[in-house]
Amino acid sequence: MHSFTYSTARSVDEAIALVGDKGRYLAGGIDLLAELKDYLVTPAPDILVNVKRVGQPGGPAGGAGDAKMGLLNGIVHVAPAGKEGEAYKLGANVTIAEVAANAALKKAFPGLTHAAGEVGSTQIRNVATLAGNLLQHSRCWYYRHPDVTCQKKGGDKCLARDGENRYHALFTGGSCVTVAASNMAMVLTALDAKATVRRGKETVTLSMPDLYAKAWTDAAAHHSLAPQDFLTSVTVPTLRKRSAYRQQSERKEFDWALVSCAAAGNVNGGVLTDARVVLGCVAPIPYMSLEVNNFLQGKPLNEATATAAADMLLKGARPLSQNGYKVPLAQALVKRALLALNETAG
Amino acid sequence: MPTLPDHTPIAAAALGQGRGPQAAKAEILWPTPARVLSTDVLRVDAREKVTGEAKYASDVQPPGWLYAMILRSRWAAAKVTAIDTSEALKVPGVKSIVLAGGEQRRVRYYGTELAAVAATSKQACLDALRAIKVTAEPLPFVVDERDAMKEDAPRVFDGPNLSAPGVKQEGDVANALSSAAAVVEGELSTQVQIHHPLESHGNTIVVKDDGATVWASTQGIFSVRDGIAGNLKLPQSNVQVICDYMGGGFGAKFGPGVEGGLAARLSKETGLPVKLMLTRLEEGLAVGNRPSSIQKIKMGASADGKLTAFEAETVGTPGTGGGGETAGGSGGANVATPYIYKVPNFKVQQRAVATNAGASRAFRAPAHPQGSFGTECMLDDLAVKLGIDPVEIRILNDPGENRRKEYALGRDKFGWKEKYKKPGSSPGPIKTGVGCAGATWGGGGRGTRAEAQINSDGTVEVRVGTQDLGTGSRTLVAMVAAEAFGIRPDQVVARIGDTRFPPSGASGGSTTTASLCPGVWDACQNALAELKTRSGMADVAGPNWAVACRKIGINPISAQGEWKQGLSSSGSGGVQFVEVEVDTDTGYIRVKKVLALMDCGLIVNTLTTTSQINSGIIMGMSYALHEERVMDKATGVVLNHSFDTYKITNLADTPEIECILLNMPERGVIGIAEVSNVPTASAIANAVANAIGVRVPSLPITPAKVLAALGKVPKMSA
Ligand SMILES: Cc1cc2nc3c(=O)[nH]c(=O)nc-3n(C[C@H](O)[C@H](O)[C@H](O)COP(=O)(O)OP(=O)(O)OC[C@H]3O[C@@H](n4cnc5c(N)ncnc54)[C@H](O)[C@@H]3O)c2cc1C
Repeated sequence: MHSFTYSTARSVDEAIALVGDKGRYLAGGIDLLAELKDYLVTPAPDILVNVKRVGQPGGPAGGAGDAKMGLLNGIVHVAPAGKEGEAYKLGANVTIAEVAANAALKKAFPGLTHAAGEVGSTQIRNVATLAGNLLQHSRCWYYRHPDVTCQKKGGDKCLARDGENRYHALFTGGSCVTVAASNMAMVLTALDAKATVRRGKETVTLSMPDLYAKAWTDAAAHHSLAPQDFLTSVTVPTLRKRSAYRQQSERKEFDWALVSCAAAGNVNGGVLTDARVVLGCVAPIPYMSLEVNNFLQGKPLNEATATAAADMLLKGARPLSQNGYKVPLAQALVKRALLALNETAG
Repeated sequence: MPTLPDHTPIAAAALGQGRGPQAAKAEILWPTPARVLSTDVLRVDAREKVTGEAKYASDVQPPGWLYAMILRSRWAAAKVTAIDTSEALKVPGVKSIVLAGGEQRRVRYYGTELAAVAATSKQACLDALRAIKVTAEPLPFVVDERDAMKEDAPRVFDGPNLSAPGVKQEGDVANALSSAAAVVEGELSTQVQIHHPLESHGNTIVVKDDGATVWASTQGIFSVRDGIAGNLKLPQSNVQVICDYMGGGFGAKFGPGVEGGLAARLSKETGLPVKLMLTRLEEGLAVGNRPSSIQKIKMGASADGKLTAFEAETVGTPGTGGGGETAGGSGGANVATPYIYKVPNFKVQQRAVATNAGASRAFRAPAHPQGSFGTECMLDDLAVKLGIDPVEIRILNDPGENRRKEYALGRDKFGWKEKYKKPGSSPGPIKTGVGCAGATWGGGGRGTRAEAQINSDGTVEVRVGTQDLGTGSRTLVAMVAAEAFGIRPDQVVARIGDTRFPPSGASGGSTTTASLCPGVWDACQNALAELKTRSGMADVAGPNWAVACRKIGINPISAQGEWKQGLSSSGSGGVQFVEVEVDTDTGYIRVKKVLALMDCGLIVNTLTTTSQINSGIIMGMSYALHEERVMDKATGVVLNHSFDTYKITNLADTPEIECILLNMPERGVIGIAEVSNVPTASAIANAVANAIGVRVPSLPITPAKVLAALGKVPKMSA
């Protein structure tokens, strides 16, 4: 890799100051270091700012850390149960393993902990952070290849579109057919979570669709954040009592989903409300349709409803030469995820 | 039949087994019953391997060693006109750069070695590789075998891509097909599979004026020795190759390779030790693969299921390893077909087609898994068409007496009769199915010398110039000596992996165990005779051992011995039964159970034999469901160069495996590694077809292909 300066930030302010114009934040490093080793990050960052110490109490430089943000490695229950605004706030540095194992989250959002448990392997889950997972870059094999220049790396066309595209998108707003593959993104979108981001001096709140919108049309983008934007936490409202996640991979464990589906909502007397269904690995963003979510409002949660929703969600799919199988696969997973809302376990 | 515990060896005699053909000729030389042989003995080096004490070629760090890395062609085909290393040589830490094949040359695949650099750090190597300027004129190329066969395809070599067909025939196949009671026809295809040993290819090399020492990750220490000696023009006697441990080869690690030659030259240039281990990306490019195959097959049988006709046209790509007039190296891409079956009327036409891709190399049972897949799939389809049970049709047609017995035994053990249902008939979206297939391999041993030394304190050293490809060679050496001397395996120090020891062959073709065990046995018998003479005792075994050894005197006893026919023979075999569950909504296949019944003569160590079979089955499953080299037609690169997209079966998918070993000591030692790998993919494919009622004709059988076979994939929108 190219050489860079390495620095540890103790507060968000310090991290933002250190990262400057050409730096990157380093969390678990699983994605970033792999990209740097393959010379995929251009321009090459001049500094890596370790953010794993941000907000940690007792840090020599940071003191109490960034009190406003809460601990970046904490999972906090916000507002009393049953009250307006009840939510869980997940710090950016929480590991995927911590999410998967958290008992309160398992009860509140079974789909979330399930999705976390399906990320990579035990080793990866132990190191991967929530922010790093949400902001991970494309896994497209053209993008990841050190010796080819695809559109995502400034080339003039998407090589997958007419090439090897079995793992690629059914939907895209632009010409790049990479897919968003973060498990966490899918289920957090279904749960209508909000991301809190420090942008310079401002603190902005982004919906999950906003967090990814840019990647829908812009081939160069992996998400909507600039390298200087600092994601501090994700807030998940408890409004939806049921959530579920289903993915299918070529292998049972330690494999990327071919397609994943997250669903969330409320079920009362067999009737579905506030439902949101999200597909993963079919578009450059978590793929959701308001039309489908609206359709589900007040519908009985049964096979017929699930089938109709699945068909509706896949309606505009534009399969490439090798990924047509994702259509029936996605339909099957939408049905399974939705029907799983019948159970509290997700 | 009593229930047998997992991997219980069954005395062939107890099953009423006939002796193998060779056994009839050979004197029975192995002791029966054995004391140590045919038992479970833990690897003598298990502790070293698990704790990390075991030093592999990549772990060795001679003082002052340099890192080395290779610059490879970014072009799939090009005329290289200049390689400028001047800037690269200025990178701090860089000690030397050598060219791989001259400055001006044709390259024919992405990944061809162009140059190598040695430096004091890995980063310095990486920086230097990026600073080397290569000027080249890109040329047209073709990486897909179907494209390469087209009339107007770019030529990989000067000659045509497609080789002339090799034809084998007997009888009158056209007539036999037209008069058959049933004929099935299909196009079956298999992918290019990459060896991907977990330890990559490479060496640590120290070259001095008068000789060289090489720590190699290799299947053949002597072939590496001769290769390096040739490369450096050194006397073979002055080159020592050491391979104490190695992390897999599967047929791709015989010689020193281009990488070994480059490392040797860099060491010579710098006067320092050089370590050059390939990266995972490089493993996918230039150090071998199993050729693909496309097999058009017609198979016919009489109404009672006897095979009467077999016609096949096959083509596959060994990359740059064959096909064109000027090609060579891999032996092409022929498949072993109609595999184990003797069909009176057959015609087989085989061709190889060159592509701009890394050359194939021998890969665990070369030609067999492909041939097995084509033949066994068609045989099952034929059985279905005729309404005959797939096990029955095999017992009827398989000429192998041992396999027929294994089918009969396995059928009961597996519960085949209860489990086999009409294809696609299991209810619900998750369908179960069963399949089976058989295999054959040679696996006989060959010339090996070994040396046994008995010391006066009763300790024993055995030296043999073999290497442990992962099959447990060291342990087998200790077991054979322990058997011969009436002592325990842990009383024997087995020394292997050094060209200073008496020579044994390279580890290929499942020959290692069958080569070294007879050599060690013979050496031990000679040492034993000497011990009897020196001690004046007729019985030196067991309780007498220590007493006898004390009488040896100052000079230890040292005796050599050699491989002898009869202590080993050839012809391993076996059958496998598989049960799968297929989710017809998602296309996901779960292999629930594999039952293997295998025979390889005398089972030396039941534990390591079972381990080989387990590995063969897992690798076969990986071939059936997961592995596939994916190349990009537009750029010519290998796209899945890392393990997240070059998928290998991992533990979570590994099924319950049950091994039944048929022990036939009278046949001598035969290798098991390759034969165990062959039938798995075919049996899985047959089980999937049985589950879903349609044939998925190409490997790997992915969820995408299952859904397509089920007719669930919508036609592509334009
Ligand atoms: C073999 C393999 C299999 C995998 N399988 C899966 C899978 O099945 N499902 C899945 O979802 N993921 C999978 N992953 C991806 C993995 O989960 C991510 O790489 C990981 O979560 C990244 O987290 P990290 O903390 O290591 O991030 P890093 O690599 O440290 O960072 C990733 C990116 O996020 C940025 N970043 C980090 N923290 C912040 C912050 N606070 N604010 C702003 N930017 C920030 C970094 O600058 C970088 O661009 C897999 C990865 C591998 C290697």
